Amino acid sequence: MSENKYDRGSALSIFGSDRKEDFMALVFALIIAFAVYVSY
Amino acid sequence: MVYTKKSPALLVIGIVMLAIWYLAQSGMMNGYLEHLAMGKKYKMLGELTTLPLYFGAIAAVLGAWQLFGSHKEGHFDYYSSTIAGGMFILLIAMLVRWFIAPEVAVVSTSMGKVGETGKYIHKLLGLNYVVLGILAGIVIVNVFKVPEWAQNGVRLSRLGLKTGVILLGTLYSAAELKNLGGLSIVMIGFFVLGSVGMTLWIGARRNIPNSMGGVLSAGMGVCGVSATVAAAPVVQAKSVEIAYTIGTILLWGVGCMFIFPIVGHLFGMSYIQFGAWAGTGILNSAQVAGAALAFQPDGIETLKVAEIFNITRVLVLPIIVLWLAVWYVRREEGAQKVNVGEVIFAKFPVFVLGFILLFALSTTGIFAPANHYKGKYFNNTTDFKESKLLKAEDKATLQAEAGKVQREDRKAALGRLIENGKVMSIDDDDVLRGLVNAKVMSKDANKILKGAHKAVRHTAKKVKAFRNWIVWLFAFGLTGLGMQITVASMKQAGGQPAVIGGIVGATKAILSLVVVLMLIGDKV
Repeated sequence: MSENKYDRGSALSIFGSDRKEDFMALVFALIIAFAVYVSY
Repeated sequence: MVYTKKSPALLVIGIVMLAIWYLAQSGMMNGYLEHLAMGKKYKMLGELTTLPLYFGAIAAVLGAWQLFGSHKEGHFDYYSSTIAGGMFILLIAMLVRWFIAPEVAVVSTSMGKVGETGKYIHKLLGLNYVVLGILAGIVIVNVFKVPEWAQNGVRLSRLGLKTGVILLGTLYSAAELKNLGGLSIVMIGFFVLGSVGMTLWIGARRNIPNSMGGVLSAGMGVCGVSATVAAAPVVQAKSVEIAYTIGTILLWGVGCMFIFPIVGHLFGMSYIQFGAWAGTGILNSAQVAGAALAFQPDGIETLKVAEIFNITRVLVLPIIVLWLAVWYVRREEGAQKVNVGEVIFAKFPVFVLGFILLFALSTTGIFAPANHYKGKYFNNTTDFKESKLLKAEDKATLQAEAGKVQREDRKAALGRLIENGKVMSIDDDDVLRGLVNAKVMSKDANKILKGAHKAVRHTAKKVKAFRNWIVWLFAFGLTGLGMQITVASMKQAGGQPAVIGGIVGATKAILSLVVVLMLIGDKV
């Protein structure tokens, strides 16, 4: 059990829950959108 | 447990990327790139001379740190252990996009176009970087196995796909809906929702897993890869189920592309009728275009209608995802226990809200002019450069061949182009594109017309940048997804998806044909 202390994901994701993965995707997408908006 | 492996792999990946960049930057690769471009300009040189430098440098530095540094267990170690696998997927995606996909196109082009579709085999089969990326991943996992140092990184692929789906919102705008009449919106809604419902119903009766039925229904109902990817997390779809769905859609589309034009001519359908039918019944964008051009090789009226129908299906995506979220929980946990409101709150994917958010932002016109259409917009009134006007010799070439043009609308549009030196309206642009497609005039004249089209209609820079991001996120995500598909998992999934896809696809094609013939005349 202690071996997996920091592994919070599944076979498909490194995140502990789908919602956390969704939020991370949203954060990345907004960063990209902002970068595109200001640089072009 | 320390997750970061003391392996030279990431360092080597960085060096390989830097080597690719150096070969491209120094021109040592020019001969090979010319071969891949088949006499044209190699389109991805911009990417090839920048991305491997940036990512190669990052991978080399982090690779040296992973190899020579000391690592303690903890959250940081857990997340940093994904970098090697992430860069491994990225390298494979780079090789597929820049070299393997163009090489497949070279071979396919050398084999000639397929029948009246006017398209090459790789276009018809959708053998682009997306499909080839999945195939590359499947080969790697089944032939070589994913190395231990890369395994954590492979689990980043879904994050990449979700980010790509959110950014897809930037490519669409509610302004597109104004091109549609009420009937077409009803028709799209009915057939999208009908196909999803039917796939779920048949899937349940044939006892396929709920995750397989869910992801297949989104693919069959909405359109192709994007919908499949967006729906997959909601129904906990396995990698192999996503790949099967994409395969089913592509194969179904290939059959439709040949059958639809024949049926269309048999029934004597109008351009608008056929466009509406192809845009509803065929799932993959390239295949919709193939069928429309096969039906009407001498113009683009059919293609335009088909494209509008095809694109608008994506706008139904959030509704489908919501439906699937509720359906999946009901199926998995039993209907009596489910409170729909709670499920929507607890399970509704935030990334689909992100798609809606960026779609709303795109509709305001902050990424491209308000009248943009999937990134294309007409720019004929402001900042039109003098250098883009037709030259005297171009006008003379067009004038000399004007007599070949028979249709009155084409004659008039051509006349206005020659008089003003530029295309004067969106309508004229459409008519002149039809004239190019009809191959009435010589190659030289058509080249001038294409140049005039490009001068007024082009993709907004921001939209172009978004497209590139989406391309790379999908390439990354789907290559990683391929690396999760083993032969054993494919055997387990069996041939059911293709059977169900065939039944639903055929029903949709027949019903939409009936509706189109009964309700659609010359206007949509």
